[in-house]
Amino acid sequence: MNRLLAFIVAAGLVFGAGCNKSTDSSSSAGSPGGKKLSIALMPKSKGNAYFISCKAGADEAAKELGVELLFDGPTDPDPAKQNEIVDNWIALGVDAIAVACENKEGISTALRKARQKGIKVLTYDSDATPDAREFFVNQATPEGIGYTLMDEAARLTGEEGDFAVITASLTAANMNEWRKYIEARLAEKYPKMKLVTVRPCDDLKDKAQSETTALLSAYPNVKLVMAICSPAVPGAAEAVKQAGKAGTVKVIGLGLPSENRRYVKDGVTQSVILWKTVDLGYLTVQATTALAKGELKPGATEFKAGRLGAMEIKGDNILLGKPFIFNKENIDQFDF
Amino acid sequence: MADSTGKFWKSILLRHETILLIVLVLEWLYFNSVGPRFGSLGNTFDIVRHSVEIGLLALVMTPVILTGGIDLSVGSLLGLCAILFGKFWRDAGMPLPVAGVCTLGIGALAGGLNAALITRLRLPPLIVTLGTYSLFRGLAEAITSGVDTFTNFPASFLFLGQDRWLGIPAQAPIFIIVAVAVWLLVHGTTFGRSFRAIGFAPEGARYAGIPVNRRIALAYVLAGAVAALAAIIYTARLGQAKADAGTGYELFAITAVVLGGTSIFGGIGSVHGTLLGVAAIAVLNNGLVHARQPREVAGMLTGGLLLLALSSSAVPRLFSRLRSRKPAKATQTVSPTPAS
Amino acid sequence: MLKRHFREWSVAFALVLLLAILAVAAPAFYQGQPLLSLMAREAPTLVVACGMALVIIGRQIDISVGSQFAICSVCAGLLAAMKWPLALALPAAIAVGAVMGTVNGALVAGLRLPSIVVTLATMVTWREGLRWLRQGEFVNLPDNAQWFGFGQAAGQWTLIFAAVVLFILMVMGMRHLSAGRFVHAVGSDAEAARLAGIRPQFVTFATFVLIGALTGLAAGMNVVQSPQVDPKSGTGLELKTIAAVVVGGVAISGGRGSLWGVFAGLLLLACVSPALTHLHVQAYWEKAIQGAIILLAVVADGLRSKTIKHN
Repeated sequence: MNRLLAFIVAAGLVFGAGCNKSTDSSSSAGSPGGKKLSIALMPKSKGNAYFISCKAGADEAAKELGVELLFDGPTDPDPAKQNEIVDNWIALGVDAIAVACENKEGISTALRKARQKGIKVLTYDSDATPDAREFFVNQATPEGIGYTLMDEAARLTGEEGDFAVITASLTAANMNEWRKYIEARLAEKYPKMKLVTVRPCDDLKDKAQSETTALLSAYPNVKLVMAICSPAVPGAAEAVKQAGKAGTVKVIGLGLPSENRRYVKDGVTQSVILWKTVDLGYLTVQATTALAKGELKPGATEFKAGRLGAMEIKGDNILLGKPFIFNKENIDQFDF
Repeated sequence: MADSTGKFWKSILLRHETILLIVLVLEWLYFNSVGPRFGSLGNTFDIVRHSVEIGLLALVMTPVILTGGIDLSVGSLLGLCAILFGKFWRDAGMPLPVAGVCTLGIGALAGGLNAALITRLRLPPLIVTLGTYSLFRGLAEAITSGVDTFTNFPASFLFLGQDRWLGIPAQAPIFIIVAVAVWLLVHGTTFGRSFRAIGFAPEGARYAGIPVNRRIALAYVLAGAVAALAAIIYTARLGQAKADAGTGYELFAITAVVLGGTSIFGGIGSVHGTLLGVAAIAVLNNGLVHARQPREVAGMLTGGLLLLALSSSAVPRLFSRLRSRKPAKATQTVSPTPAS
Repeated sequence: MLKRHFREWSVAFALVLLLAILAVAAPAFYQGQPLLSLMAREAPTLVVACGMALVIIGRQIDISVGSQFAICSVCAGLLAAMKWPLALALPAAIAVGAVMGTVNGALVAGLRLPSIVVTLATMVTWREGLRWLRQGEFVNLPDNAQWFGFGQAAGQWTLIFAAVVLFILMVMGMRHLSAGRFVHAVGSDAEAARLAGIRPQFVTFATFVLIGALTGLAAGMNVVQSPQVDPKSGTGLELKTIAAVVVGGVAISGGRGSLWGVFAGLLLLACVSPALTHLHVQAYWEKAIQGAIILLAVVADGLRSKTIKHN
C-alpha cells in the first residue's frame, strides 16, 4: 500500500510544483469584465536566441494592447510538434495564432483547420502556404535574404573566388529555401565565384567551429564563409580567428548583433545580416491583435502598428522593411 | 475469507498499471479543472491523433524490451520509411496502396537487419540499433540530399491522417487493430509468453524448447514493419515526408514503455501498461498547453514522472531492505546479449 | 598480445588506414594548426569518454552526459561572467557535474533503478530545465577568459596535455589501483564481487559521481576555447562517447574493455567527419557512414567470436 501512497503523494507534489506558476496567468486571463483576447505566438523552436528577442517585442506589444500572450513551440524544430501545438491551441480556444513555420506543408494542414474554426491566423518570420493564413508579417523574403547574402559575399570577395556555406541541418526547410536563392543569384550574376561545400552544424556553435576548421584546411582557396543559422556565425568566426585567417577569410551570416559584436569589432566577421527582431515580434502581435479585433482586414494597404507607425502592406504581406547589415560601424547602436 | 478478499484487492491496487491509471485519472481531473476545453471530445481526439505514431512505436517496442532487448532505430526508420514511401509514390509512379505495401516491406526488412545482427552474430541490441539509428537516418538524408520533400499527396490519402471516419480520427482504428494484435500476441498466446520467458532467462527459455532466436527476430521485424506503418500515418497527418521525420521518437517510445511498467531488463511488463504509459505522456503534453505552461515543463515533468514511477516501487523496497539489512543482489542495467 | 587485444588493435589499424588514405588523397589534412585545433576540440570528449568507459565497464550506462555538459558549461560561463577567476569557476563546474552525478548515482545505486532509464529521465529533465531557465541565451565571457589568458597555441597545448595526463592517470589507475579493479569486478559479476568483499553499490555510485565530475571538467575545457557559451553545447555528446567506447571494444554487458581501445575509438570517430570534408564527400553521407563504421566494428567482433567458437 505504501507504494501506492508514495507514488500519489509524489505525483501530487510534482504537479503542484509544475503548475503553481500557471495559476496567476490563468487567473489574469479569466478576469471579470470582458474577456481578454488571447494571442498565441509560436517560434520555430524554443531556446533559440533569435526568437527570444522576437518575444521581447511581442511582450511589449501585448502589454500595450492588454492581450494575453501565449508563447510556445517545440523544443527542437520539428514540423510534427508545431502541428500538434496548433491543434492544442485550437482546442484551447485562442483568438488568434501567429506562427513562424518550420516547414510549409507540415503546418498548413493545422492552420487551415484553425481558420475553419474561426481563429485568425497569421504567419511571421517564415510563411506557410498562402491559403493557410490571412497575412504574413514579412521581415524578408527568402529571395531577399538569399540575394542579400550573396551580394554581400560578392562585394567582400570582389566577385571572385571560392566560398562555403554552414547551415543548421541539411533538412531545415527555410535554410534550404535560402540556399536555393543563394545558388540562383550565384548562377545568374557571379560566374567567377564558386560554392565549394555546404556543411551542417546541427544548430550548435561548437560544431560550426569544428566544421569550419576542417573546411578551411580542406579547401584552402575558400575566401569567405557564409553562416546561415545564427549559432554558426560566431562558431565560424572563432574557427577563422583560430586559424589565423582573420581578414583574409571573410565571415558573413545571419545572426544576432549581441552574439557577434566581439568578432565584428575584431574584424573577423565582416557583416551580419538581420532585421530588427524585437520589432518583428512587436509588429506580429500588433497585427495579430488587430486581425482578431477585426481592425485589420484583407485588402488593406496600410497598418498602423503602435510605436512603429504605419507599415506598408503589399498584397497579403505586412512589410517590416529591409534587412539590416550590421558591420563595424553600426553594430554598437543595436543591443539585441 | 475477508482477509483473502483484502489481499485480492491489495494485489490489484498495487499493480503498476493500476497506479498508472490512477495517475492518469488525476492528471485528467487536474487539467480538466484548469482548462475548460481540455475535456472536450475534440481535444480528446486531438490527443489520440497526436499520439498514434509514438503509440505504435511504443506498442512494438514492448515485446522487444520484454525479450531483454531495445530498439533505438525506430525513429530513424520512421524517417527512412517516410521518404521511401514518398519516393515510391512520386518517383517510381506506384499507386499509393502499392507504395504503402512496399514501405511496410522495407520496414520489415530493416527490422530484419537488426534481428539478423542481434541473433546471428549475438551482438548487443543497444549497440546494433545505435548503429542502425545513424545508418537509417543517414540513408534518409543521403537519398534526399536532405532537401527533397514529398508533398501534394491526394486528399484521399490525407484523410487517413487528418479526417474523421465514423466520428473518430481515421488513424484510430488502425491503432486499435495494432494494439489488439500486439496484446493478443504478447498476452493471449503461449507464443507471446515466450517473449517474457526469453527476457527472464534466455538459457532457461532455450531448454524449455522455445526457438529463442526466431522469437527475438520476430520482435524486431515487427518493430520495423510497424515503424513503417507509423511513417505512413505520419506522412498522412502532416501531408509531407521529409528526412527528419520522427527524430527522437525512439526515446518517447522507450519512455512510454518503461513508464508503463515494463522492466528495461526484460521479462516483466504488459502491453496495456504501455498503452497507459503512452496515454499518461500524451495527456501531460496536451494538458500543459491548457494549463498555459511552456513546452519545456512538459519535458521536465515527463522525466520526473518516469523517475517517480520507478522509485514508487524502489523506495519501499529500499526501506524493507534497510529494515532487514538483508543483502540484495546488485542491479544490472544494460540488457545482456541474448545468447542463442 | 595481438590476440588478447584484438579489438584494440583492429580499431587502431582502421585509424591508421584512414590516416594513410588521407595522407595520399588529402595531404592537406596534415597541417599543424587545424590538426591542433581538432585535437583541442576533442580533448573534452576524451575526458567524458574515459568516464563513460568506466561506467560501462561497471555494467551501467549514462546517457545524461550531454545535458550535464550543457549545465556545467552554462554555470562555468555565468560564474566567469560574474568576474569569478577561472581558477574558481572551473572547480565550480566540476562540483556541479559531481552533484548531478551524485543524483544519478543515488538513484541507480541507492534505489537500485536501471541506469539507462534513470539517466534518460535526468537527461530530459536537465536539458529542458536549462532551456526553461535560460531560454537559449548565449553567455558572453570576459575577454581574458579564453585560453586561461594564455595565447591560443599555449592554451590548446594545455588542454591536450591536461586530457592526455588525465587519460594516462586513469589508465594506470584502472590497472594498478584496487579501485580500478573493483570496477571491472563489479561489471563482470556484482554478486561475486560482493562476496569478495567489494561493495558493488558503492562502486557504482562512485563511477556516476566520477563521470559527473569529469563531465564538469570537460565542460570547463570546452568553455575556455571560445569567448561565448552556447547553452545547447553537448547535444549528442552521449551518443558520441558511447559510440567511441563501444567501437573501442568495451563490452556493453560490462566487465571487459580497456581505455586504450576507447582512445583509439574516439580518435577514429573524431577523424571521420574532418576526413570526409577533406575527401570532399557530400555532407549528407556523413551520418550513414558513421552508422556503418559503428556496425562494422561490432560485426567484425561478432564474426570473430563466432568463428573462434566454431573452431
